[in-house]
Amino acid sequence: MHPTTSRRRVVRTLALTVALVSTLTLTVRAAPAPELKFTTANGPLALESLRGKVVYLDYWASWCVPCRHSFPWMNEMQARFGDQGLVVLAVNVDADRAEAQKFLAAQLAKFTVAFDPNGDTARTMQLKGMPTSFLIDRNGNIVSSHVGFRETDRQPREAEIRALLASKSK
Amino acid sequence: MQLKPKQTPSIRQALTVAACTLLSAPAVRAQGTWELDSSLLFYSEQDRVRAIEPVVRLKKQISEDEHFALQFVADSLTGASPSGAVPTTTPQTFTSPSGNSTYNTPANEIPLDPSFHDTRGAISFDWGRPLSRESRVVYQGHVSKEFDYLSTGVGATLSWDFNQRNTTLAAGASIGYDQVNPVGGAPVGLAPMPTFPTVKATSGDSDTKQLADLLLGVTQIISRTTLMQLNYTYGKESGYLTDPYKLVSVVDAGGNPVETLYEKRPDTRARNALYWRTLSAFGKDRLDFSYRYYWDDWGLRAHTADLRYRFEFGGGHYLEPQLRYSLQSQAADFYRPFLRQGESPQYASADYRLSEMTTSTIGLKYGVATRRDGEFAVRVGYMLQTGEDHPANAPGQLANQDLFPDTKALLFQVNYSLKF
Amino acid sequence: MRRLMLTIGVLACALSGCAFDRVQPWERDVLARKSMQLDAYPLDSFLDDHVYFSKEGAHGGRGVGGGGCGCN
Repeated sequence: MHPTTSRRRVVRTLALTVALVSTLTLTVRAAPAPELKFTTANGPLALESLRGKVVYLDYWASWCVPCRHSFPWMNEMQARFGDQGLVVLAVNVDADRAEAQKFLAAQLAKFTVAFDPNGDTARTMQLKGMPTSFLIDRNGNIVSSHVGFRETDRQPREAEIRALLASKSK
Repeated sequence: MQLKPKQTPSIRQALTVAACTLLSAPAVRAQGTWELDSSLLFYSEQDRVRAIEPVVRLKKQISEDEHFALQFVADSLTGASPSGAVPTTTPQTFTSPSGNSTYNTPANEIPLDPSFHDTRGAISFDWGRPLSRESRVVYQGHVSKEFDYLSTGVGATLSWDFNQRNTTLAAGASIGYDQVNPVGGAPVGLAPMPTFPTVKATSGDSDTKQLADLLLGVTQIISRTTLMQLNYTYGKESGYLTDPYKLVSVVDAGGNPVETLYEKRPDTRARNALYWRTLSAFGKDRLDFSYRYYWDDWGLRAHTADLRYRFEFGGGHYLEPQLRYSLQSQAADFYRPFLRQGESPQYASADYRLSEMTTSTIGLKYGVATRRDGEFAVRVGYMLQTGEDHPANAPGQLANQDLFPDTKALLFQVNYSLKF
Repeated sequence: MRRLMLTIGVLACALSGCAFDRVQPWERDVLARKSMQLDAYPLDSFLDDHVYFSKEGAHGGRGVGGGGCGCN
């Protein structure tokens, strides 16, 4: 947990200052994301197929309160940065799909939603809490991960996304 | 392809950022950071104490993991409470605690102190905040005032999550300082109650009591549907622990009262409790069971079990029957329902609460979810306390008296909570 | 006292993971329910504690700093 926190701090600081330096840091720290296969409402989706995009991979559940707070923010990110290559992929881990659908009826998701009712990919990704999100660069490397979603996380996470979008679009 | 939108002027993007930030912040705040909990309890004993107790708790969620809560309690009691003196075949006359009047107890009835009425107001707070990602602290404090009693206290409880948040360890401590100003002064312990208008001997107008509590606890997630909590608490009280209004009868060989004394208790008490609780879900329903073993250096021992089962009926309706059973298996060493002539114990109290007894409660709660994550609930309960009606060693006429009349009480409670 | 601490130690050890499968963060749907929270109804607990504090000789166990009244 501590490496993640310190990594986040490093990434945040650098991303907010010089994009060039942060590119270097991210590359150094990055680890390739495992090959994950998801089920979405529109059929199967392999994480690999999103190569070339910046992926914000989020794990959520209907019973998780901070998850609810993260939805408007993820909508906003998808709307603003989608055309720059951001894909928000929100994986639901409810055992009961009906609970997820009820949640989605109340919280409109304007991004890709996948379902992992058995937690198979959640186990692979070794989630430490709910929600957990991973930021994956255009080469398929995980550059950071975050546990929880707080009001104060919005700005730094957005900055991270922006830095990552900028660094690879040159 | 993706590069094209990047060529749009960045000023538009900057404006979008500002707009979204402004719009989205209040949207989250509207989720409800205030929480109001309120309860009104009606408590009514047959022929004895009646109480009304409203409680309001206002909690502010400062951030995702920090809160501050204030709780206000008012408590109004009327009625009569057993004084500790024994019943006899002839009417008895007692001097009221103030020393200004007398009251009579009819023949063959347990003496009740009729001047029992009180109003209490209390304010307490609790403030919980994180210390790290895995630990947090809750600070608490209270001030409570009755016309003859003032209670103050502060405390803190620390907790740590580990084992991937499957285990939580807790450690807590609190200290308290109470002041009692008994009506008519604090009587000298085991001194005889004088006959009106003679005034009782007092040890002073007021006295104090110090309290300290320690807690060690562990909460463990057992499975996806079960969790358990185990607490050990240690409490130390010192100072004036006597009840200034309780009496002890001194009886002769025929069991007839010859004198009434003011009770006297030791000036320290060390309490221990082991408390185990488990919550377990069965489908949508939930079982809540707790057991406590209590022991202290006054010799008191008690086993207390509490069982609640919540049936979910869908649509936010639930019904929760409750059973509570408490067995005080061993009385305090100095508990004496009466004293015999010629005895001169160091301490003596006839307060039935320090005796061997059982308290059984049967209850039912109905709750329904309301708008804004709120809830409305009604609780009803019936409590019965029974003890030794006819102690084996009761001499003479006392053998025919009910020395422990049952206490029967009805409880009715209304709850309402909401978030805003 | 020493025996008690030992008991608690053994129980804590037994409870702290060796005996049970860890419940993963994404498996906490049931545990997240209001009815499964230890302090879901603070006022019910408060009033219960208050009533029994006034009517019984034994009290405490749930936390620290209870009581706070003359409660005759």
